[in-house]
Amino acid sequence: MWRKGESSELLREFPDFTDTMHSLTALERMPIGVVEECRQAVAMARRFNRAVAHSYSLDLDRKMQEDPTHLPWELVEEANRWGFFTMWIPKLFGGKGWSLTSISPFVEELASECLAITNLIGVHYFGYSILAATWNIRLIDLISREVVEGERNGKPCLVSGAVTEPEAGTDAEEVELLARAKVRCQARRVEGGYVVNGRKIFISNGHLSTWHILVAYEDLEHPDETMIALAVKNGIPGFSFGRMEKKMGQKGCPASELVFEDCFIPDEYVLVSASQARDMGMRRSPREAGMQLIDFVVSATRPGVGAMGAGVARGAFELALQFARETEVEGRLLVNHEWAQCLLAEMYKNAALARLSYMEANYSNSMYGMARLLGFKPLYYYHRYAPNRVMDRLMPAVNAKEAVTKVFRKLVMDGQSDEEARRASGWASLAKVAGTDLGVRNCQLALELMGQAGLRHDRRAEKCLRDAKLLQIYEGTNQLNRLNLFKCLVSPAAPEARVFED
Amino acid sequence: MALLGLSEELRLLDDMARDFALKELVEGREERDRYPFAPLFEEVLSKAFEVGFFTILSPEESGGATEPVQALCLVLEEVCREDASLGGAIFTVALTQELLRLAGAEEIWKKICAGGASLRETLPAFPSFHNPSDTTLSLEARRDGGAYRLSGKAEYVVLGNLAGKALLPARSAGEGWSLFLVDLGSSGVLAGEPVLSLGLHACPAVDLHLDEAPGELVGEEGKGEGYFEAAVDRLSVAAAAASCGVMKGSFETALDYARQRMQGGREIVNWSEVRMILSSMAVRTKAAEMMVREAAEAADSRRAGWELASRAAALQVQEAAAEVACDGIQLLGGNGYMQDYGQEKRFRDAKQLQALLGMAPLRKLRFIRRVVDGEKPWVFRG
Repeated sequence: MWRKGESSELLREFPDFTDTMHSLTALERMPIGVVEECRQAVAMARRFNRAVAHSYSLDLDRKMQEDPTHLPWELVEEANRWGFFTMWIPKLFGGKGWSLTSISPFVEELASECLAITNLIGVHYFGYSILAATWNIRLIDLISREVVEGERNGKPCLVSGAVTEPEAGTDAEEVELLARAKVRCQARRVEGGYVVNGRKIFISNGHLSTWHILVAYEDLEHPDETMIALAVKNGIPGFSFGRMEKKMGQKGCPASELVFEDCFIPDEYVLVSASQARDMGMRRSPREAGMQLIDFVVSATRPGVGAMGAGVARGAFELALQFARETEVEGRLLVNHEWAQCLLAEMYKNAALARLSYMEANYSNSMYGMARLLGFKPLYYYHRYAPNRVMDRLMPAVNAKEAVTKVFRKLVMDGQSDEEARRASGWASLAKVAGTDLGVRNCQLALELMGQAGLRHDRRAEKCLRDAKLLQIYEGTNQLNRLNLFKCLVSPAAPEARVFED
Repeated sequence: MALLGLSEELRLLDDMARDFALKELVEGREERDRYPFAPLFEEVLSKAFEVGFFTILSPEESGGATEPVQALCLVLEEVCREDASLGGAIFTVALTQELLRLAGAEEIWKKICAGGASLRETLPAFPSFHNPSDTTLSLEARRDGGAYRLSGKAEYVVLGNLAGKALLPARSAGEGWSLFLVDLGSSGVLAGEPVLSLGLHACPAVDLHLDEAPGELVGEEGKGEGYFEAAVDRLSVAAAAASCGVMKGSFETALDYARQRMQGGREIVNWSEVRMILSSMAVRTKAAEMMVREAAEAADSRRAGWELASRAAALQVQEAAAEVACDGIQLLGGNGYMQDYGQEKRFRDAKQLQALLGMAPLRKLRFIRRVVDGEKPWVFRG
């Protein structure tokens, strides 16, 4: 005989069923329309790869090797023409409103051709996700509509995210570390706004973006409790671009330095701050709210980086397969040698595992992360089928009201439990580590198989390897992500464990 | 390299190579590595030539070393610790010289050396990242009276845009393939643009297009494979030494950085996971050093079994180097991925070096084929 509640208790034992079975759990909750969106997103990416990326990616990489200061505006404009910068902006804010789940398969597909182009498109959504994670509806609406307008008038308006500093990379991704970090980018409170001083580095698309979502700190002695997000637009006095990094790969997507010198940001461009949260009566402490903001972002973006890993794993596999099909070894095609077949099977498997990981993390994030409201079926279908002109007439006025921001923040921020945050963030790290390690692995294997041919730029495989290595570093190094995975998914089974104390 | 037990001559050579590397190869490394979008470092190549790095395998009376394989390994390791591009050039010349020796054509080498004082007239070119037996050769030789005419494409000929002559493998009538010496200035030879590659940017390579170009047969016709495999026996350990040098450079840079970079309020060297990665780099590098040392010594003293020791060293060390150099970037995070710290270059160079002497999986299969056929893999006899 089963005791009442026994089954639930058993399922809550480590590993909690809910922590491990996201796709199964999502099956009943997910609007079926998402499947069709994913199919369309993949088809669209394949079309773009054929029409643009395949021929352009090598030229761009070579061009950047020749002139590392080149800014690939032509690519930004092309992606803008294809409508890629508004596809995942909700219709509430004037965008095309594709479901977030469909972005990762799209990213994988692009990444199978070129990671630099993928990053140039994808990192716009990294910037956008910080903006969205603040749930400052007025500013989300304002900036989103500028991106949409930029698409309409052919003057691309991209969003970058500025977090990393010269002396704080990993530290900026975790409040425990942030508390002891050497951050330097300060937003000092003054009458009517903030004055920002400091530098941000490695900002993907910095030079190419119009808006920059800046994470700074009000008190450099207590950055973990005084995190502040500001919206910075090009041209504002005191803000300028510094150097462009010379990277090993992903060269087509610039990594920029952003420089702030007594840069005044008026109150109306404050996305979120501790005092703002306090005034709205949010339930989390400033430090907890800081971690939630980080988790909101990385739970959405890390699966995307995992998808880039899956994509490059596939790209490398496809190049190796092509090589094996056209190369004769000892009088037989390489593809007919048993060892080569096992190697190619291994590479296919690596790509498949990377894909499974990011899809699982995607389900987790769609159910527990910052955009889960949009996956709620009635809202999803209303959002999907309501005509844009109706939305565009109604929403700007609604979105401008502070009360709307407050309602959303209560629903999404206060409404998210710590358990949910932990699940989304832990799986995002898992997918990021798995996908990127498998991606680099496949590139290494492809180069070994291809020998001399693999070394040549014109054969593409070497570019895959150079590009892929960055995936293990950005969006938190894979070491930081392993620790976050431990914190989120393993430490529930080891309550005595302390993370980041070593 | 650990110098215990080395002869005085080798110690002096090691010191000299270390000094040379620090003096000539550190400053300007990033700019040199921009080749073909920056000038080729001919000045450094000339200096390396003057100090004898390109003639280590020559017979003693022509200025070669008494323990040539060990000497070559020491030089390659020290050079590649700072810049593997020069190592790629030294290795390619040594391989060419070894092939000429094995083919009984040392006269040609002497002629090349005597050809003139200039680097261009002296250095030979060779496609050192390919075993001609791995895949079907495009280049074909046709007998034309007492001479040969070569037509087809020779891919990735290292130093091909610098050297006056190239040693090229080509198919000819009958079984197997043969080696031909081709004057790169002769009519019918067209060199392409420098090939853009993963690593070793300043060790230039070009594709050569030959159309009825005159070639001089080296050794016997159809015996290319035999010469090449014997050269692989002797020079695999030298390839391993080059990779070992890259590992050392990568580890040293990572350790320096870890001592300085702060994270979470302390130097990252004091986080235990960082130590774990550093340790794994150091252990693999130490293992590589020992393997190279033992295999090189065995090769010089021709102890039974030295051939497989040399080949095992290359397979093992080249793969480990690619992994170590990957960790070498990782420990520097975003900085490691940028050109300023030299780690990204080491990562590319290490992976490029893994392809020396032909496709790694096929080298692995050749290794085991010889064991299956009866060669003793474990102990040095005699």
